[in-house]
Amino acid sequence: MTDARAPLIEVRHIGKSFGATRALDDVSVRFQPGEILAMVGANGAGKSTLIKVICGYYNDYEGDILVEGQAMRFHTPKEAYDNGIATVHQIINQGVVQSMTVYENLTLAELLRPGQSAFYDKDALRQRARDVADAMDLHLDLDEIVEDLPQSERQMISIARALSSDPRLLILDEPTSSLSEKEAERLFETLDRLRGLGVSILYVSHRLHEISRIADRVVVIRDGKRAALLEKPFQVKEVVTAMVGELPKHGEIDRSSRALADAPPRVCLEQLVVEPDGPPIDLAIRSGEIVGLTGLIGAGKTELAQVLFGMSAAAGGTIKVNSRVVAPRTMNEAIAEGIFYVPEDRSNNSVIPLFNVRQNMTLPFLRVFDRAGLMDVKREQRRVRDMIRTMSIKCESGEAEIDSLSGGNQQKVVVARWLLEPYELVILDEPFQGVDIRSRHDIAEYLRGTIGDRCAIVIATDLDEVIEVADRIVVMNSGRIVGEQNSEQIDRDQLLHWIAQEGVSE
Amino acid sequence: MSAVQTPAVVAGEVAVTGTRDRFVKFAIRYGFLIVMAALFLMFGLINPVFWRPANLFSILLASTIYGILALGVTFPLVIDGLDLSIGSVAALSVMISAYMTDVMELPGWLTIIVVLGLGALVGLVNGLLIVKVKIPDLLATLGMMFLVQGVQLIPSGGRSIGRGAVLEGGVTAQGAFAEYFLWLGQGRILGVVPVAVLIMFLVAVAVFVTLSLTRWGRVFYAIGSNSQAARLIGAKVDTYRLMAYIISGTIAALGGIVLAARVGRGDVSQGGTLLLDAVGSALIGFAVLGVRRPNPFGTIVGAVFIGMLLNGLSMLSMPYYVQDFVKGTVLVAALAFTFGLSKRRG
Repeated sequence: MTDARAPLIEVRHIGKSFGATRALDDVSVRFQPGEILAMVGANGAGKSTLIKVICGYYNDYEGDILVEGQAMRFHTPKEAYDNGIATVHQIINQGVVQSMTVYENLTLAELLRPGQSAFYDKDALRQRARDVADAMDLHLDLDEIVEDLPQSERQMISIARALSSDPRLLILDEPTSSLSEKEAERLFETLDRLRGLGVSILYVSHRLHEISRIADRVVVIRDGKRAALLEKPFQVKEVVTAMVGELPKHGEIDRSSRALADAPPRVCLEQLVVEPDGPPIDLAIRSGEIVGLTGLIGAGKTELAQVLFGMSAAAGGTIKVNSRVVAPRTMNEAIAEGIFYVPEDRSNNSVIPLFNVRQNMTLPFLRVFDRAGLMDVKREQRRVRDMIRTMSIKCESGEAEIDSLSGGNQQKVVVARWLLEPYELVILDEPFQGVDIRSRHDIAEYLRGTIGDRCAIVIATDLDEVIEVADRIVVMNSGRIVGEQNSEQIDRDQLLHWIAQEGVSE
Repeated sequence: MSAVQTPAVVAGEVAVTGTRDRFVKFAIRYGFLIVMAALFLMFGLINPVFWRPANLFSILLASTIYGILALGVTFPLVIDGLDLSIGSVAALSVMISAYMTDVMELPGWLTIIVVLGLGALVGLVNGLLIVKVKIPDLLATLGMMFLVQGVQLIPSGGRSIGRGAVLEGGVTAQGAFAEYFLWLGQGRILGVVPVAVLIMFLVAVAVFVTLSLTRWGRVFYAIGSNSQAARLIGAKVDTYRLMAYIISGTIAALGGIVLAARVGRGDVSQGGTLLLDAVGSALIGFAVLGVRRPNPFGTIVGAVFIGMLLNGLSMLSMPYYVQDFVKGTVLVAALAFTFGLSKRRG
């Protein structure tokens, strides 16, 4: 690849409205060759809209797209693609055909090219796939079925295919949202190499540490406008300030954790064995404490949560709530004991797309609104209205379709669902995945403000996320707890060491 | 609303200008009812007999049996399943009713209880096949449809049952349906409102209350929309799915009882088109008010619509053999209208 084309692509004064809503307003960005430009912004700020304008999804936008200085107007994604704009969308499994082999996936575009013979030549395709893979320095068995590959390699395949067209601009929309830190690091190495080859990359992410790791410049989108364009070296603080307009109040964290110092333990896991032959876990959570449970994907965080929520049986040990042994065998028993669980992966595990905000929110506790067998909708509406206000959920009303909310606000709804009734222990599994900073802050604040003398576990792989919300950080690795720190005295390097160390299992 | 600062952008939303958007929304919501009202006017203007109360009641009466079945099958549809065995359950109910009263000379009330129990049993088997054995709903209920159709023929040795009918082994049917049993299918309240129509109405109210006003109904819909999420809020998904098929089977049996009471005999040919008419009504119900989901109000409107259309067209001397064609066209058009228009919106 000898790709050193001049000022590649530029967008000028882009605007886009949906009905009365102004989604984008006067956004201008230049994409330089050999540069990684990061784009950040809250959910609903207009990032996705800008990407869709650039990659030809919308054709009724204002402003201009310039390709090598020439104004173009894309009417279809294919036109954008033919002009050297390749996009890898957020959901990895939409970018690959899981039942097909690696080489078939790498050469999908070839299959669709006009003028191909109806019967495709496997050897030629495999050779073409090998070229594509080599160009990316991708070492994969070309005949392997994509289903059998880890997420990171699927992601690499999507990116490799996008690059096979020799694009001027590569757009990556939250490429790390389902990758572990290690897998993400591999991706960054690839991006570094691509930058060296002169490709221009637009990198969209919520994860600020990634951005300081790889980006040359950062464009911040806020409320549909370009809020800032920061050159290297930029401070994370500047980026966050541009995104949310204010920094989260950190003073509060110290105060509440100091008050915790002599609080009695309320939820205790004693020698709890999550999986047969697995290591035992001991953890005591004090009254009013939020434990941040972190660790890599596969460290055993979700598995622990599932045992607590009665989704799978413990292989040994005890769970005590208020000094009383509880052994939930089903989710309903866990709920009856006051152990609630907000699962990860909102769209698959939490949101009922058919239901409006109110119906989504009250689902676990419908019996509360039961009056002589019928739903007391008036009371339900009042309760939901209160919750919308106190959690600052941005929506027209409780009767709004759940789809009309941004991701962060949908997340607030499914978290609120489990905070409607008093809990003993609430477990939030990756509650901040794909959630903008402001929503994350709102959720954390609400949890802190309402926890009282009860307990919470917040599971997150992202360190920034747990540090923001938790009183104490507990690190899991290979199924066991390997270390913990109070949030007043965070030693980031020590935490990263615990998270990443290998050979923990005895 | 003009001062709202946050552009709440929905991914994939395509802009539609205000007026057009409103028109499309209106069309989705009321389009079907407007078409129905227009047809009602048209039929009456061409032939005023259509508007006579007697004719209107006969339209309702014609739609009662499959209307009742359609209300039952609404439950499996709500949980994103389907019950193809309802037609044969109704047919079985007709035969068992006739056999119990005419041949075994058992009292009508006992017959009703046994037949409803049988319907529930078929529903239970359907549910267990789907929930426990994990056969896909379409295949499980299709299999049960054939099985029940076969069972239906066994008691009478494949013959129709009526008073005086001679069955296998020279047994002559001596009994008859009790008056009150026949009243369910043939009676009229105050000499005007057919009892069967009233039964359909009561079933509709019960289904509506259950699905729309109780918390259990909410859970049924939640399971149909995202069963994984419903499971994770602690809903006993399998129990609800089982219940959906039991309700569907029981209501189908009730439909069969009303049918037996109407014809007063057990005819092996009964129930032929019941399944498709019932499922068709429930699916047309998706289009009513543009809700795009199974709902009892829509189901009833769908059933009455089919009845009205057939009645009106036969007054215009439409030959009987194009009935199925007309019903199918209406179904496809209604679904295309609702789903097609709303898809374009987003």
